[in-house]
Amino acid sequence: MSQSYNRGLIEDFGRWREFSAGMWAWIFHKFTGWVLVGYLFTHIAVLSTALTSEAAYTTTIQALESLLVVRILEVGLLAVAVFHILNGLRLLFVDLGVGLEAQDKSFYASLILTGVIVVASVPTFLAGVSI
Amino acid sequence: MSTQVPEQVEDESSAESVSPGKQKRDAKKRERAERLQEQREAEAAEKARTADDTYHLKVFRYDPEVEGKQEPRFDDFYVPYKQGMTVLDALMWARDHYDSSLTFRHSCRQAICGSDALFVNGSQRLGCKTQLSDLSEPVRVEPLPHADVVKDLVVDMEHFYDQMEAVEPYFQTNSLPDEDEEQRQTRENREKVKMSTRCIWCSACMSSCNIAAGDNEYLGPAAINKAYRFAMDEREGEEMKQRRLEILEQEHGVWRCQTQFSCTEVCPKDIPLTEHIQELKREAIKNNLKFW
Amino acid sequence: MAERYTSFEPGGTRWLWQRLTAAFLVIVLAFHFFLLHFVNHADEVTFAMSEARMTQLTYFSLMILFLVTATFHGVNGVYNALVNQGLSGSRKTAVKAILGIASLVLIVQGVRTAIAWAGGVPI
Repeated sequence: MSQSYNRGLIEDFGRWREFSAGMWAWIFHKFTGWVLVGYLFTHIAVLSTALTSEAAYTTTIQALESLLVVRILEVGLLAVAVFHILNGLRLLFVDLGVGLEAQDKSFYASLILTGVIVVASVPTFLAGVSI
Repeated sequence: MSTQVPEQVEDESSAESVSPGKQKRDAKKRERAERLQEQREAEAAEKARTADDTYHLKVFRYDPEVEGKQEPRFDDFYVPYKQGMTVLDALMWARDHYDSSLTFRHSCRQAICGSDALFVNGSQRLGCKTQLSDLSEPVRVEPLPHADVVKDLVVDMEHFYDQMEAVEPYFQTNSLPDEDEEQRQTRENREKVKMSTRCIWCSACMSSCNIAAGDNEYLGPAAINKAYRFAMDEREGEEMKQRRLEILEQEHGVWRCQTQFSCTEVCPKDIPLTEHIQELKREAIKNNLKFW
Repeated sequence: MAERYTSFEPGGTRWLWQRLTAAFLVIVLAFHFFLLHFVNHADEVTFAMSEARMTQLTYFSLMILFLVTATFHGVNGVYNALVNQGLSGSRKTAVKAILGIASLVLIVQGVRTAIAWAGGVPI
């Protein structure tokens, strides 16, 4: 063999149309995981305004919560968290060797359930916000 | 279907005794025959292209040693369809009738040798086990992804074989039976390893695995399945099982599997690869908990 | 390739802990979301309300455990994702160190905040 040819990225995410359920589940789980760990750090950073003074914390949180953008982002966070939880449960069952034949169906089920929970929560999440 | 086009063998003994005039005439005749042959082939190709019962194949072409093929491209082949025709049959027809330089591995043509795993219409399949009638046109035939292409549809399998060798893919035991006895396996144990023994080393699973693509050290589904076949074989004994689990428990062993199920989906022998990998993970954990 | 597998470096402990924390987090995260968005509403958050919850020892210790497990689960997940992409050698060591420090800072900051709310450890 004198030389070989590597087809690079074309082989990977350029082929997203050909991905199967398990692959999508993995991609979504990774993505939501990154979002959640990113949120964890910012969450603690915002909460630690409580270290300055009681008033600083209350005004910071209330100022943030009065913004529509923040509320919408919170709905996004809920979606991300719920999917990560449900698909995480699916993965725990897969790790226990339970229901491996239905792994694609359980992925679709967690997607649908996430959608339902998020839609149902929108009124609560947007309550009391001034537009 | 034959792999070779029958060639006309020239009768050399008669050519020696004939006059130069006849030789000239013969040469002309041959030339004319060749031209006619070419014309016929071109006509056949044209007919195949327009006919209803042909399959349109788009085949990946690359050859580092031929100028003009150094940049990968797709070639179109129109192959006349016969009932029961597989992707491999179509490739052989294309090679025999259109381009003899079209290169791909094949041997047994019955899903046993494991040489013709290809990337067909976006999924890893055995060329010989994939019916054309199950595919939508144009049928895209590419070499296995996540491997270096050597030429056309041939990929470098060296890394895959290294990973397979790393798990010591052969029976080993310290507890041999008495001299006149056979090394018996219980029926239940045989059932347990049955599916895992079916591996034909075709590398379809390895190619489909997104983690094996990113982490070169990851053993990959085929090698782990091979390890499963022996780790779960009770005749090897406890000591060997420990040794096998130690190989699998390393950071780039079973733990890298992310249960994407890609391997299980593409395996042409229907081996439940993910299930086997998961069972080995639990086995390794149980094994470690024993020592705590 | 084959020689590389002789060094014994088990990765099973982290794998198991990732699953154990996952099982714990599924419940606690759901509880956390429910308590702080459905029981208490987002626009009513005050220092005093957090203080009231945090002065209870059970809630305080649950939140500390939540912080520690979430940090482990998240950071270990990030590390795994990078190893899956073929991270190795000195870069791997560097990433390990950075992630370790980051989680330590996060946990310390979180615990300090919790103590600020509770006005000391509520024993």
